[in-house]
Amino acid sequence: MELFENSAAKLSEMLNNKEISSVELTKSVFERIKDTDDKVNAYLTLDEENALNKAAEVDKKRAAGEKLSPLAGIPIGIKDNISTKGLRTTCASRMLESYEPPFDASVMTKLREADAVVTGKLNMDEFAMGSSTETSYFKKTKNPFDLERIPGGSSGGSAAAVAAGEAVLALGSDTGGSIRQPASYCGVVGLKPTYGAVSRYGLVAFASSLDQIGPLGRTVEDVAMLQSQICGHDKMDATSAYREYPDYVGLLSEDVSGLRIGIADEYFGEGVSDEVKTAVMNAVGELEKRGAQVKHVSLPSTDYALSSYYIISSAEASSNLARFDGVRYGYRAKEYDGLVDMYEKTRSQGFGAEVKRRIMLGTFVLSSGFYDAYYKKAKLMQRRISAEFSEVFKEVDVIAAPTVPTTAFKIGQNMDDPLKMYATDICTVTVNIAGLPAISVPCVHEDGRLPIGLQLIGDRFAEDKLLSTAYAYEKTVGGFRFPKL
Amino acid sequence: MSEMNIDIKHIAKLARLEIADDELEAFESQMKSIVAMVEKLPDISDELKPDPDTPMTLRADEAETDKFTRDELMKNAPAVKAGCLVVPKTVE
Amino acid sequence: MVKGYEVVIGLETHAELSTDSKIYCSCKNKFGLEVNSQVCPICMGMPGTLPTLNEKVVDYAIKMGHALNCTINRICKQDRKNYFYPDLPKAYQISQSDVPLCENGYVDILVDGEERRIGVTRIHIEEDAGKLLHSERFNGDSLVDLNRCGVPLIEIVSEPDMRSSAEAKIYLETLKSILKYLDICDCKMQEGSIRCDVNVSVHKPGEPLGTRTEMKNVNSFSAAVRGIDYEINRQIEVLEAGGTITQETRRWDDVKGESVSMRSKEDAQDYRYFPEPDLLTIVVEQSRIDELKTQIPELPNAKLLRYVREYGITLKEATFVSESVELAGLFDECMEKGSGAPKSYISWIVGDLVKYLNDTGKTVDETRITADKLIELVDAIDKKTISNAGGKKVFAVLLEQDKPVKDIISELGLAQVSDTAALERIADEVLAANEKSVNDFKNGKTNALGFIVGQCMKASKGKANPAMMKEIITKKLDEM
Repeated sequence: MELFENSAAKLSEMLNNKEISSVELTKSVFERIKDTDDKVNAYLTLDEENALNKAAEVDKKRAAGEKLSPLAGIPIGIKDNISTKGLRTTCASRMLESYEPPFDASVMTKLREADAVVTGKLNMDEFAMGSSTETSYFKKTKNPFDLERIPGGSSGGSAAAVAAGEAVLALGSDTGGSIRQPASYCGVVGLKPTYGAVSRYGLVAFASSLDQIGPLGRTVEDVAMLQSQICGHDKMDATSAYREYPDYVGLLSEDVSGLRIGIADEYFGEGVSDEVKTAVMNAVGELEKRGAQVKHVSLPSTDYALSSYYIISSAEASSNLARFDGVRYGYRAKEYDGLVDMYEKTRSQGFGAEVKRRIMLGTFVLSSGFYDAYYKKAKLMQRRISAEFSEVFKEVDVIAAPTVPTTAFKIGQNMDDPLKMYATDICTVTVNIAGLPAISVPCVHEDGRLPIGLQLIGDRFAEDKLLSTAYAYEKTVGGFRFPKL
Repeated sequence: MSEMNIDIKHIAKLARLEIADDELEAFESQMKSIVAMVEKLPDISDELKPDPDTPMTLRADEAETDKFTRDELMKNAPAVKAGCLVVPKTVE
Repeated sequence: MVKGYEVVIGLETHAELSTDSKIYCSCKNKFGLEVNSQVCPICMGMPGTLPTLNEKVVDYAIKMGHALNCTINRICKQDRKNYFYPDLPKAYQISQSDVPLCENGYVDILVDGEERRIGVTRIHIEEDAGKLLHSERFNGDSLVDLNRCGVPLIEIVSEPDMRSSAEAKIYLETLKSILKYLDICDCKMQEGSIRCDVNVSVHKPGEPLGTRTEMKNVNSFSAAVRGIDYEINRQIEVLEAGGTITQETRRWDDVKGESVSMRSKEDAQDYRYFPEPDLLTIVVEQSRIDELKTQIPELPNAKLLRYVREYGITLKEATFVSESVELAGLFDECMEKGSGAPKSYISWIVGDLVKYLNDTGKTVDETRITADKLIELVDAIDKKTISNAGGKKVFAVLLEQDKPVKDIISELGLAQVSDTAALERIADEVLAANEKSVNDFKNGKTNALGFIVGQCMKASKGKANPAMMKEIITKKLDEM
């Protein structure tokens, strides 16, 4: 077994016992990247030299007997919309092709404090707008389990890198499913934390009220480990919650007896394939066998979540992406006639089609005369959806649902039909609309089949319950299996 | 409302985007179908008032200086002159 | 009324708040430093940065709200105002739209001795934009300096309650003196700490209100007067020529003394306001609002009314003193502790003190004068211990030295002789020595009296109380 194949938890133990060095581990991961990334296309930027320097530094600290974080010396890949000081952060857009942030995102500060080793920056849909990583300006990432298929998105590079062994762990971001959906397609574990649990400072904003950074890993324990490190209040983010967080790894338990699992019919509608329905219900059955109770619950406004999501996210995006005007950073058109022309040419050449569509939609729903009909209605619907969840969480601990209605589709299959693409978000967006945490854990992971994810949704700040439930399930069905690359 | 005309050119102007004439038709039909999808929201008779249950902690008024040099902050700028960002002549 | 038209004016006044740091980041809030030296990723609008609201800004705005008798919305929010311009890094300004921090207030101003109440629609908090620099040397480019980005502003929106440019100017001056009293704005006009947009319309009496125009780039109070007068005349000319007024935004050019149209309502900006998702609700505790209210001093417009009504001070002097926190503070302390006439204190303050301050560039605090000293001085003059002329000499010393008034009087030998017996002795000696003048007086030459009194003053080496001296001589001459 190669070093890169181990889980973060296992590697942490090996490092701690000085069985291996971080330099050896880091080299193993970069070897793997060299072997497979020309097929997978997960990385946009590699940072090998700094990674190896960091690994050597960690090894030195460990040799000196310093008490280190469990993440110390573990190679982690970063989605390319998270600002990394001095390391190109492109958001997979021509607009930011050569942008180097002068500061670190708050999560990066935390990772550096934990002595994690940053491997590089991972591909994504342009500005996180998309569900397939096909809207990246630079390259199309492939699903490691079937190179003709998409890895999902927008954190497709993160999910694919972890699945391919090109990173032990990865950070993604989730605005409408962008961590969970690619995790589901790539057979890995992805957690979308409660809104406010992880600082957004330095995450290039798509939709500020929905965006959340979260971990991806090959095991639930690995995801718990990374989440424990990145969560916490940050005074740089006014939407960051004031509270204490537990060490999630210490709370993991295989015991699900008495756990109340909710099943809502709204998540098993006509768009959801039978294969996915069956897989999810089988998983719920496994948990029931281990002592969990299953209850049927109702979330009647779920049907409206997708509309609300596209209105709110596009409205915020249209404003968040207005700053890309070719003045202070990023792309500027080569030829233009005056200021307005410079703005228009810069933005039209710098943004791809999907980003332009979202900006246009967002501008439209906020424009004079339409605000009440769209934005206001969507915000009111958001409150109703949140209220429905609050009611349901009085009766159950977690809600089980599919992560995505189907398995990964073929590259190019939905590119010309935005509506079809948007429909793949149907099971994930409600969670963002309500600011809740949710995890996707593989429930089909066998040779010859495409992975399928089980989504578990919890009440605000109930990450511990989600992680424990997912952990118990993972122990039942067995862990991650590498794709043949 | 689904038959509504969306003034693509006007919206593009507000968003400072250029939609070429040959893209206009495709863009308009895509926009229409997206708008048709999102506008099935029901009326909820309520006001959007600020939510007192999500209060914000304010920052103490303390100035921090010299955390960044001007060169660091301007190094990504497409055009710089005399310590300033450069734009086409702009007089409102 | 101008040429048979009634004039309606409303003002939107922006005041920069004198906090230490900016409104949404920790950069220093300071004017006049090297270009782009007071910026950080946040106020530069770098991708991924987020705003955090400065608590001082909320406090200052609430103070102004109290001063202008507003309702304070203890639960409010911030909104984004979206538009593209090179001085606005995020391409949106964080401001407040439908729920401002303060609303429904008023301010009383004194116009030609009459009290006028001007409604205040709202006060909201927002961030300032950067600056564009233009020069022939830039080869057709403009340069952008972002130092001012994120400087905290309050925008004070008045009701359309003003009827002339003079009234608008008094309103602005009143706001300025209130901001100074609250110590929340440095009110340096040349640095642009107070700027305003002006809305003007005209209509014939009895007819509905006319279409209004908005004028921007008004950078001083005198420019406001010129701009308003220009706009009133322009609108009347258009109407008299049978034309109609277009609702539009105009830009005032104070050098040329004219305004030009920037944009009409048809192509007006669509700012697409929506709640700022990077900030949560502003919730201010009622106890904090109450506490801030107790910190509001008596305001200059209230002082002005009191000085005129209760003390009978002229409007000119009362306005002058009330507008200055320091001068009014000195005067109020004199009135509180001393027993002299208000006019006595005022005349020293607006006379010798202000002249000294102007000549030296000092503030009142930087001189040695205190209310206690001024009271002593006025007492000495009232009791005729020293003459007015002597008082001026004493005051000059008081400005620069911390010495008791009576010590200065004796050091300068300024004490007047007011002892009747002593004065009578001098009178007798002088009358005896000037028989000719006595006879002249008796023969009707009244100016001989002046000569005799002058001789007495000379004999006393100038220390005799001149009024008493004159009285005694007159009496003795009558008796002779």
